[in-house]
Order: sequence, then structure tokens, then C-alpha cells
Amino acid sequence: MSFLQMFSLLASGAGYTVLVTVACIATAVVSGLLVALLGRLRIKPLNRVLAVYTYIFRGIPVLVLLFIVFFGLPGIGLSVPPLVSMMLSLGLIAGAYLAEVFRGALDAVDESEIMAAEAMGMSRSQILFAIEVPQMLRFSVPGMLNEFTTVLKYSPFAYTVGIPDIMKQALALASTTLRGLEIYLAIGLLYFAIYQLMLALMKAVERRFSVPGFKRL
Amino acid sequence: MLLQVRQLTKSFDDKTILRGVDLDLAEGQLKVIMGPSGCGKSTLLRCLNRLIEPSSGQVIFRGKDVLQPGTDVRALRQQIGFVFQQFALYRHLSALHNVTLALRKLRGMSVREAHAKAMHELGRMNMAEHADQYPAQLSGGQKQRVAIARALAMDPAVLFFDEPTSALDPLMSREVVSVIKQLQLDNVTMLCVTHDPFLAKSIADRVMFLDEGVVRAEGTVAEIFGAHADPRIRDFFAHEHSAA
Repeated sequence: MSFLQMFSLLASGAGYTVLVTVACIATAVVSGLLVALLGRLRIKPLNRVLAVYTYIFRGIPVLVLLFIVFFGLPGIGLSVPPLVSMMLSLGLIAGAYLAEVFRGALDAVDESEIMAAEAMGMSRSQILFAIEVPQMLRFSVPGMLNEFTTVLKYSPFAYTVGIPDIMKQALALASTTLRGLEIYLAIGLLYFAIYQLMLALMKAVERRFSVPGFKRL
Repeated sequence: MLLQVRQLTKSFDDKTILRGVDLDLAEGQLKVIMGPSGCGKSTLLRCLNRLIEPSSGQVIFRGKDVLQPGTDVRALRQQIGFVFQQFALYRHLSALHNVTLALRKLRGMSVREAHAKAMHELGRMNMAEHADQYPAQLSGGQKQRVAIARALAMDPAVLFFDEPTSALDPLMSREVVSVIKQLQLDNVTMLCVTHDPFLAKSIADRVMFLDEGVVRAEGTVAEIFGAHADPRIRDFFAHEHSAA
């Protein structure tokens, strides 16, 4: 089997890798935003719950949480599909980190702009969604890119719950061909290509929403 | 009388900032509140639209005490334009969108209506050609003119200025002074807090002098800036003149 043939076989798993990565990123962004925005309500008991979430989820290894969800929960009658297990483990852990990125970015929004909007008579939610969130997202680009990259790099854990991603294809191929070095080099290249694609996408989004004089954090 | 303030007090913890302030503002009048830094000028202005909650007293706006429970504070604020010392423009929005935002969100205008209204107000401030520029691309004077256009677009009953020239160099200050003078000719009611004697002398119908949270004097520019009987006021202006 030529290197090119192996590469195309491995690439067939790339769709699943992208799917897992996108699903986990979406979970992370939604949960991170939710935690950061709920934190702005400054309700003490709620903030404690949110702090516990970020504290615990940032402290648990992805693989451990994935196994708890996928292999542990069926023990109490809760069967979780593989992709959802990835979202509930990798997605929520990345969400806990993103929540901190978003919280810091929200704190960077100038208080005087918020006061100006209040003085105009805008409601809390209008201020949040018209002023704070758009600025927060712009401030968060570097932190988001870091976290998205981390999600991509942890996505190979998907093979442990049976998702036929690049890693799963590589393991199968390596066990039949015994050409591990070439195969793992090839998947390294594939992950690098996906990373470059993600980088290009983020840069395009950043350019699209760039504002003169608006500095990244 | 558009605005009447009676015995307004404000305390933060054990510190009293305003001690029984009375103030009247008639339609079309431009009153300037002066006083040393920390005398409570900005706190007074923020108490009037309840950006800061007063401790006691009355703020009667258009015949209604707006400190009473049940007052629609957001509706009150929509009738009071507020221009800040540091401009407070939304930095992620162009000059045009800084003005249209409240029109869209609060007045429920369509994009086209809000755009037309915003361009009219920016034009009034000689800022129409900068409509697509972002705050970081504007000079201090231009930013303040956009901030004024943003406030005027809501057709407020009164315009509050909180130290509108303090963050500007003398040249830009003159730009803002000429804008305020133009608004005065258009019969816009204004209340302006400043410690800039040049601004006060240039624009004021009447001047109120606030010191340690108390109104020490009120009168015309000539009465307040002349050889005032109150040594605190004389000292303040002597110091301000030497600082200038």
C-alpha cells in the first residue's frame, strides 16, 4: 500500500474528526457563554454554582470524564451516544475554560460605555447583547483560538468510544500494515492541515468583524 | 419649570456628597454647575436621571417627582440626553451606528428611519462625512460631537453635559463650545457641569456654584465670576485663572 493510498484511507476519518471537533467547540462556546453571561447577573448562589462548574470541569482529565459519561452512566441506566459523550466531556471542559476567557473579556468592556447606554435608557439585556457581547467576542479571539486548538488536539479520544475518526483509522491501519511510523506521521499531517484550516477560518472571521483601534486582549 | 430639585441629598456609606441641593431649570435655559473637584457636581447630574440613586429629596421633572416608587426610570432616561467627559462612544460601532443604536432599540425605528435621523444629527454637528468612521479614528472634539449627536437623536427634553471639555485640548474645547452655543440658539435646554471657567463664561445663562455638596451661590456669569462676596468662590476662580 502506497503512502498516498494510506493517506486517503486516513483522510476518510477526517470527516469524523471535524464533526467531533465542531460539536465539542459548539458545546464549549454555548456553555462558556452561558456561564459568563449568567455570571453577569451577579446572583451570589448562582455564581457559586457556576464557580463550582468551572472549578471541577477544569480539574478533570478529558479521558476520565469521557469514560465516566460513556462507560459509567450506563451503569445507572443512562446510555449516552458516543458523539454526545464527547460533547459532555471535552465540550464541557473546554466550556469551563472558555467561560474564563469570556469573563475576562466582559470585564474589559469599558464601564463608561455601559453607563452611557444606561443613561440612554437601554435595558440590561439590550446593553448586554448590543454592547458587551459584541466587544467581548472580539476581545476573546486569541483565547477562543487557543481553546479550539485544544479541542482539536483532544478529539482523538473519540476513538475510545468507537467514533471512526482519523485516530481510529490509523490504529486499524497500523495493526494490519505494521507501518506505524508512516501512518502516524500521516495523521500528524492531517491534524496539522485541519489546524491550519481552523486558523484560516478564525482569521477570516476576525478580519470580517475587525474594528479600527480595537485591540485584542 | 422643566426640572426642579428640592433638598436632594446623597450619601455613600458614611460620606455625604450632596447636602440638600435645590435647583431649577427652565425650558430653553442653559445652566452651568461649577465647583471644585469632588464637590458633588457629577453625582448631582447622575442623581437627576437616577444613574445614582439619591438618598432623599425630590427631583420633579415635567411636574412629576421621578424619585417616587413606580417611576419608569428607563423612560425618564430616554427624555434626558447625557454627554460624558470621556465621550463614552461604543468603540465597536461607527459614528453612525453609535447614533442609530438607541433609535433602533428604544424608538423601534427601521434601519432606514434611524439612518436618516442619525445622519441629520451628525450633519447638525458637522460630522456627516465621518459617519462611517470608528471612535478610534476620530479626534477628541469629533468624538464629543458624535456623543452630542447621539444624545440629540433621541429628541431629549434636556441635555446634560458632564465636564464636556475636560478631556479636550483648548482647540477642541472651542469646537465643543461652539456646538453648545449653536444648540443654545436652537433653544435646547441644557445643564452643564464643569470646572472650566472658559466654557462656563462662554455658554451659561446662569451659573450655580456647588461646594462640598452645598449650593453656595447662583447667579448670572457676571455675578458669579465678578468679585463675589463669598471668599470660597473668589478663591476658586482665582485658582482656576492661575491654573489656566
